[in-house]
Amino acid sequence: MENTSQVPVTVLTGFLGAGKTTLLNRILTEQHGRKYAVIVNEFGEQGIDNDLVVDADEEVFEMNNGCICCTVRGDLIRILSGLMKRADKLDAIIVETTGLADPAPVAQTFFVDQDVADRTKLDAIVTVADAVHLSSQLVDHHEAEEQIAFADVILLNKVELVGDNDIVKVNDRIRKINPFAKIIKTTRCAAPLDEIVGLNAFSLDRVLDIEPDFLESDHDHEHDDDVTSLSFVSDTPLDMDKFQDWFGNLLRTKGQDILRSKGILNFKGEEERYVFQGVHMLMDASPMGPWPKGKDRSSRVVFIGRDLDKMNLKEGFENCKSA
Amino acid sequence: MNADLEKLQESNKTELERRGSIFNIGAPATEAVTIRDQIAVGFGDGTVRFFQSGSDPKTVKAHKGVVLSMTNYEDHVLTGGEDGRFLKISSDGNIDEIFNFGSKWVDCVASHKDTKVCSSGKTVYIWTKNKDKPQTLEHQSTVAGLAFDNKGKRLAVSRYGGVTVWKLNNNKWTASNFTWKGSHGTVTFSPDTKYIVTAMQENQIHGWRINDKADLAMRGYPSKIKSFTWVGDTPYLVTSGSSDAVCWPFDGKEGPMGRKPIVVANGGKELATFVKALNGEKAVFTGFTDGSVLLAEIDESKKPIMIRSSTGSEVSTIAISSDNSQILIGDMKGSILLSSLWADN
Repeated sequence: MENTSQVPVTVLTGFLGAGKTTLLNRILTEQHGRKYAVIVNEFGEQGIDNDLVVDADEEVFEMNNGCICCTVRGDLIRILSGLMKRADKLDAIIVETTGLADPAPVAQTFFVDQDVADRTKLDAIVTVADAVHLSSQLVDHHEAEEQIAFADVILLNKVELVGDNDIVKVNDRIRKINPFAKIIKTTRCAAPLDEIVGLNAFSLDRVLDIEPDFLESDHDHEHDDDVTSLSFVSDTPLDMDKFQDWFGNLLRTKGQDILRSKGILNFKGEEERYVFQGVHMLMDASPMGPWPKGKDRSSRVVFIGRDLDKMNLKEGFENCKSA
Repeated sequence: MNADLEKLQESNKTELERRGSIFNIGAPATEAVTIRDQIAVGFGDGTVRFFQSGSDPKTVKAHKGVVLSMTNYEDHVLTGGEDGRFLKISSDGNIDEIFNFGSKWVDCVASHKDTKVCSSGKTVYIWTKNKDKPQTLEHQSTVAGLAFDNKGKRLAVSRYGGVTVWKLNNNKWTASNFTWKGSHGTVTFSPDTKYIVTAMQENQIHGWRINDKADLAMRGYPSKIKSFTWVGDTPYLVTSGSSDAVCWPFDGKEGPMGRKPIVVANGGKELATFVKALNGEKAVFTGFTDGSVLLAEIDESKKPIMIRSSTGSEVSTIAISSDNSQILIGDMKGSILLSSLWADN
């Protein structure tokens, strides 16, 4: 996966009016000395005019290989391969999605399509959320939940229009859905660009940054179809065969409802840490070097998804502990 | 096999490279087409360059951004660009803008006699002689491939979920749909126009027998098929995408149904990225991921010969001049080899 010649791609999601266009215009006009191409959707907001803007339809298609999770963005495959033929090298590519789009097919494109994976890499999913309206959008639109759930970075925008108490509330609401995204509170999306672009959030070593604080509590939730997160820690080493059986079967049978998963694993008899991260049924996993000296060898896993409490995750994870 | 081909096989790679010219353009070569004694090449820097033996190429600054598609049209080339322009270009540098689609790319172009065709998004635009306004054909998703049959009466348009074949009757186009799940790219009619075949975004090609829409799924490739070419009288559809040139026989009633392909031009650990027939011969040029090019007969018992050695950059285009005298090979780094095919040329 790691290859320095791969151009990083940032996926920008968020509801209409949250401030995506403000952010895109900043990326295109600020004097940052970098060359960014921006792929916008034709139903997006007006007001972006630049040679490096590419119009796209959000064309999702199902691969013919029988995997129900293999819906990908065909237009992205086409446009990214076109952009890779440019004489001048791009520093990064930003893909804007419409407010109502499911981020999964975009992310899956980078796992499934070999040409895309060879020449580009998914850098991070950045969601712009409207601090004023997010709470009601989360109730009314499951797409809003998904955009929060998938995010590596959440720009909580328009905070100047919201009281301090409400900011705490909306922050907590986001945390319930997504415990590991970085939340940046902004006015007019005024966050440093290096906190948005070039994060390498999908690189496996970034999984090691999972904060243990978020991992110690299970969360209650209000509705059955809410997106929530569950996390587990074990100080007992895991049995590799048992884990692979359980986790493989889990993604195969429940991958539709598990939006994202990440983990660091301590297998019995293995010197190295194992790290994985997944989007629905698709997963990247690899040993990531020895455990740091003097630190606990604890396994940590996080799941974000729907109906997690019906998957017996805790029991399944516990059963993977080595005898 | 004729005497010329034998002579060619006596020469080695150094000969072809030594007697040829190498140009380093610095931008990926995206497309190449032959116009009379010249070979026009489109590049990732927006230029179209006209190559001719014995002289430096003539450079036309055509597009801003990548030349995405190109075909020949009378004495000109038609190009579609990342800048949304559909152009007609002559080798003396004359540019005629047929249409400007703004920020929408012109992904595909095609022509037949005096008809000019391009696609942008889901729409195909057709300009016929003496008409300023194009006819338009709409599709359910973005068009990824265009091909006329040899009479210009049918136009195959590939897209998600299959191909639409448009038939021209009394100046009206009527559609017939060929369905197969997945995303379909480059499309071609077999020379006898009995089959259509597409390269998919998955590692397979898909074909249909036109009269009964019977499916031909040709799978087993380790990578995407970016290029195919019809070779010989059988004919064979030769494809890239594997460590060999994979040659599917399209003779008989059933074509390749239930038959195994012939594989020639083994590239070892390199994958084939571009294939091009040698006109009038049962032989094919195969370019690989490392820039090397082999010439092979469609015969597993014959040894291929090295035409171009490795450059470290994948072969993105090969063109042969219309009189079969010159070959042009281009790669993703923009290195161009132009050479005479025959030793005594």
